[in-house]
Amino acid sequence: MTTSVNWELKREVEDFLYREAHILDEHRLEDWLDLFTEDAEYLVPLREYVQGDVAPAGHPVIKDDKQMLTVRVRKDATGYSHVETPVSMTCHLISNVVVDEGPEPDEVEVLSAFTVRQARKLRDEAWWAGRRRDRLRRVDGGWKIARREVHLDATVLPRGIAIFF
Amino acid sequence: MSTVEGTGTDTPDAGLPTATRWQDPGAQPAASGSAPPRPRAGTSARTVDALREIVDWEHGLVAPAIHFDEEVYRVEAERVFDRAWLVVGHEDMVRKPGDYITNYMGEVPVIVVRDAQGEIRVLVNKCSHRGNQVCLFDRGNVKGFTCSYHGWSFGLDGALTGAPMEQMLYRGELDKAAWGLEPVAQVVNFHGLLFATFDRSAPAFESWLDADARWWLENFVLSTPLGGLEMLPGWHRYRSPGNWKLVCENFIGDDYHVYSATHVSWLAMIQDFMEQGVRIPIITYPGTTDGPMYEGSAGGNGRGAPMGMGMVVADNDSLFKRDLAEAQELGPEAVDWVEYRREKLLELAQGRPVKPYSFMNGLVYPNMALMGFFSPMLGRHFQMFHPRGPVEHECWQWTMVERDAPQVVKDLAVQRVYQGQHGAGVIAPDDVENFERMVEAGKPARSWRRPFHYGLQLGHEDEGPKGLPGNLGPNPSEVNQRQFYRFWLEMMERS
Ligand code: FES
Ligand SMILES: [Fe+2]
Repeated sequence: MTTSVNWELKREVEDFLYREAHILDEHRLEDWLDLFTEDAEYLVPLREYVQGDVAPAGHPVIKDDKQMLTVRVRKDATGYSHVETPVSMTCHLISNVVVDEGPEPDEVEVLSAFTVRQARKLRDEAWWAGRRRDRLRRVDGGWKIARREVHLDATVLPRGIAIFF
Repeated sequence: MSTVEGTGTDTPDAGLPTATRWQDPGAQPAASGSAPPRPRAGTSARTVDALREIVDWEHGLVAPAIHFDEEVYRVEAERVFDRAWLVVGHEDMVRKPGDYITNYMGEVPVIVVRDAQGEIRVLVNKCSHRGNQVCLFDRGNVKGFTCSYHGWSFGLDGALTGAPMEQMLYRGELDKAAWGLEPVAQVVNFHGLLFATFDRSAPAFESWLDADARWWLENFVLSTPLGGLEMLPGWHRYRSPGNWKLVCENFIGDDYHVYSATHVSWLAMIQDFMEQGVRIPIITYPGTTDGPMYEGSAGGNGRGAPMGMGMVVADNDSLFKRDLAEAQELGPEAVDWVEYRREKLLELAQGRPVKPYSFMNGLVYPNMALMGFFSPMLGRHFQMFHPRGPVEHECWQWTMVERDAPQVVKDLAVQRVYQGQHGAGVIAPDDVENFERMVEAGKPARSWRRPFHYGLQLGHEDEGPKGLPGNLGPNPSEVNQRQFYRFWLEMMERS
């Protein structure tokens, strides 16, 4: 049974998510990493259409801990990461935010929907849409992401993933 | 083509050394060494009529028209994809009766299904009545397939089992035996890997994939003597710009790009994070090896479809030692297994002067790409590159691990796949980016005639150790790209 939180708390969480979106779109990826707890998980499950009684997917598309997220960010900082040379322009639109109480007293569960447009070079682009399920944890008076699940609405990715959601 | 000084058009690349400087196509240089002048691929001739001239694999010169011209793409569907033996999946995907996966053969959607008798069928995913798609899912387990248009239903073997109001409307005259789903012409299960062809008169599988290619596939890709492979369910897929051949030639033998430019960001990460003591799977992966490595080739050369194996590690203990050291951290079970499989591999090479241990990348012509990634501590990748128009393809990827590996090894091996050569890894997206750039640079027909350079190790192909099936040559090399285009040309010329 989920219990929604009070209005002020919801505003606070929304503000956190919007600020995070701006950090991503300003390509401040080291600052973005700081928004995650040290034990954070970042998951992108495989979306597929299955019928009848079959085994679940053997592996998600992405299953990162904070170190792997750091690897992804630092890879782009090497200067040799072609897929982000030049860096993509992104616009993260976040909406449909619902905030519920989390499993721990200092945590909340947050559902949101997103649309991300990625534009590169002259005309290369991708549209990404889906929903996120975040677990945010109160740390030193602010919020951090302890767990993020990104449900991309695509069974075939429109391009390789080299941006963050 | 003449060069007019100062017009800014048709200007040769002034900085190139003479041997590779672009000249009039009437006197094309070889990619390596010199070649006699050859007839020019005229602008008036259609690309499909001039293929022999523009696919000059012997001299390492292939014009990019074959990656852009829509007519080539159309002819290719008939002459390559409708005739080749194509991989459609692995038997592990359809273990029980009723299990199915959907896949493509070229652009043709197919269902790979195990029927009630346990036989694996490959059926075109198209209703025989009026052409509706009968299966909409990526995989599943069912008793049959029912069409959503008029409700014809088909058994797991493709037979038409029922049509609504059949007796009343067809008055018992519907010849159900003649109206099943279309099966492909032939299916072969090669140590678990499923091959199918639409062509009733295709060469026998054993001559399509000759004994040398089958030896490598059986022993090193499918690890049959080691207990075979186990699959992780689920297609991982992404779209990518670029003709399907561009990515397939990359997998069949482009080890040049790995260390020279494309993947250096990943390699720099390994270095950097290892120094910092960060130990996550893709970082602790053996990014390179000391000691000999070869380009492996099998088939091709007039002996069926080419198969390439890049960075074959042979007569070189450094990776085995590396795997052993990693296994020691994972526990005694892992150590036993690494030692056991090493012994098995030595047995396999018994009596042969060269002892292979692993391979990096590979391709079975035309579009089944492989990654062995040097080491059994990394899962084996199977990546199908399906054509999607002249300048686009789709990657359909699945992962396998050696069945007898201990669970700790499997877990590690699997993580490395998804962190690396995968649509969301730190390796594959850089390849995709290159294909995107190649399409942008090469789209205009003006750019289709100047050949690409496939001259690496031209004339030095067999300067490697002898005694294994196929050929081992120097690495990196473009021998396998040349064989790829040679065979492609042969198929395209067979009308
Ligand atoms: S198209 Fe399938 S039943 Fe008519
Ligand atoms: Fe690559």
